Amino acid sequence: MFRINKSSDMLPAIQRGERVHLTVDGKPIEAYKGETVAAVMLAAGIRTFQKSHKHHQPRSLYCSMGICYECLVTINGVHAQRACITTVEEGMQVETCKELEL
Amino acid sequence: MIESYELAVIGAGPGGMEATISAAGFGVRTVLIESYPQPGGQYYMRMPSDFKVDYENKTETAGRKLVNHVLKGPALKILNCLVWGLFQQEDGSWLVALYGENAPKYVRAKNLILSTGSYDTPVAFPGWTLPGVVTSGGTLVLLKNQRVAPGKRAVVSGTGPLLFSVAAHLIEAGVEVVALCEVNHILPGGIKHAFTMLKQWDRLNEGAKYMKIILGAKTPYKIGWSIVEARGQEAVKQAVIAKMDKAGHPIPGTEKVFDVDLVVSGFTLTPNTGLPRMIDCEMTYQAGKGGWIPVRDGDCQTSLPGVYVIGDGAGVGGAENARLEGKIAGASVAKNTGHLSPSREKQFRQEIQSDLQQQQRFGDLLSDLFTPPAGLVSLLKDDTIICRCEEITLVEIKDAIQMGARSIGEVKMLTRTGMGNCQGRMCEHTVAAIIAHELAGEGITREQVGYYSIRPPLHPLPQSFLADAVPEEE
Repeated sequence: MFRINKSSDMLPAIQRGERVHLTVDGKPIEAYKGETVAAVMLAAGIRTFQKSHKHHQPRSLYCSMGICYECLVTINGVHAQRACITTVEEGMQVETCKELEL
Repeated sequence: MIESYELAVIGAGPGGMEATISAAGFGVRTVLIESYPQPGGQYYMRMPSDFKVDYENKTETAGRKLVNHVLKGPALKILNCLVWGLFQQEDGSWLVALYGENAPKYVRAKNLILSTGSYDTPVAFPGWTLPGVVTSGGTLVLLKNQRVAPGKRAVVSGTGPLLFSVAAHLIEAGVEVVALCEVNHILPGGIKHAFTMLKQWDRLNEGAKYMKIILGAKTPYKIGWSIVEARGQEAVKQAVIAKMDKAGHPIPGTEKVFDVDLVVSGFTLTPNTGLPRMIDCEMTYQAGKGGWIPVRDGDCQTSLPGVYVIGDGAGVGGAENARLEGKIAGASVAKNTGHLSPSREKQFRQEIQSDLQQQQRFGDLLSDLFTPPAGLVSLLKDDTIICRCEEITLVEIKDAIQMGARSIGEVKMLTRTGMGNCQGRMCEHTVAAIIAHELAGEGITREQVGYYSIRPPLHPLPQSFLADAVPEEE
């Protein structure tokens, strides 16, 4: 899992947006404007986004288009947000594997 | 006050954009609703506007032009907005229920063009819920639009030409692809379609570019092979592939194990038919078109007058096919709302008819060669999770069948498959295949197994929103 920085025919070089400050489970993570929460998490080597509610198995991004709901994380305290279709914002706090407190 | 339109187009992919341009161009009062912040759909998805890129390929140029065309056009665009329900009113018009930050709660429309596209057919195998198993469409979005590689060493497995695209992009990104597995034994069938292929220069050209990269990297292209298991505790550590027979059963003793951190699963596409099901459009099962699709007439109109379904959501046929169907449906609505004379509509149709036939021949080729084989259910073990959301295993589904369940609806009621966040999109294909497989002796077919019925809300919504969503009396 890594950011693609080399330029090729299929994937020509791009310039990412400005640096954004964001934490995942309290730790600062490299992130740039335009990136999705899922992309910055994967680029940082974070694979487990949530634990399944019954068997507590690790789950992660699967469809990456907002329909499988496997990449749910807590963002700024709001539970069950899809990391794959949420764009990063300055100061964002992302939490993984957080149980919904009722 | 709920705004009224002559037409609501739902989904701004290639088909939805063309439908909007065509209908609104003829003067139809149109609203276009899209769940993403920008039009384009999966095929013409733009790079984030915060990224700078000074190169675009032919597809990206075509996409940018179409997106700009629709954005400048007269139709109202409601972006970043989910459609969670469709409710027919006494006068026959439709109340379209919306959920989005800057969206109204409802719009009203006399006609609907549903253009909701398709998604990767989720084929279950042991270990498919592990982090590191990603769909081919999802992998391409990460690579192309986010410039992030979801692994360093990968097995790519599935069926169809999209696999070449995924493998080539992974290799270009610097990911080692240790095996590219095509489950279907495609050589004999391919010959009869050679002529059709020869008319598809652009596609051939694209395919040749991918092949050059794949051959250059010495990636083994294994025809008649498939992923059979992903192994690992916290994430994928190993992929097991095996040689498959023509029905899609693994041949014992042929397994090969690779250390990988990524398994890309790409077993063609499934039409996204939640909305036509919700409003009870008549459906038909066409394995080669990706599964259940709405029955349509030549104008792309469903069994419900004024309700059209176009593009991959009506049977997987690709972006060009979706664009042409969008034009046809848009013109048909213009005719039926009195904005376009029948003779001019006929003329408009004739201009695109031969292009459409060519696209349909290509679609037939895809379905002939690249349908996921039914035997893939034999990969499943009793404890394999089939329904990801509700964590229902194969043995629980088999128990429900033992108890007398004969349709997917009955399995859903007994086990809760398909009742979670994804509304059954991720498990329907596999659950239906399991039922048909278990009951093959009784002559039960996929048609008889049926499909999950879909009810509003189509997507999970906050209860606080729903509680407030009842439309005001007028």
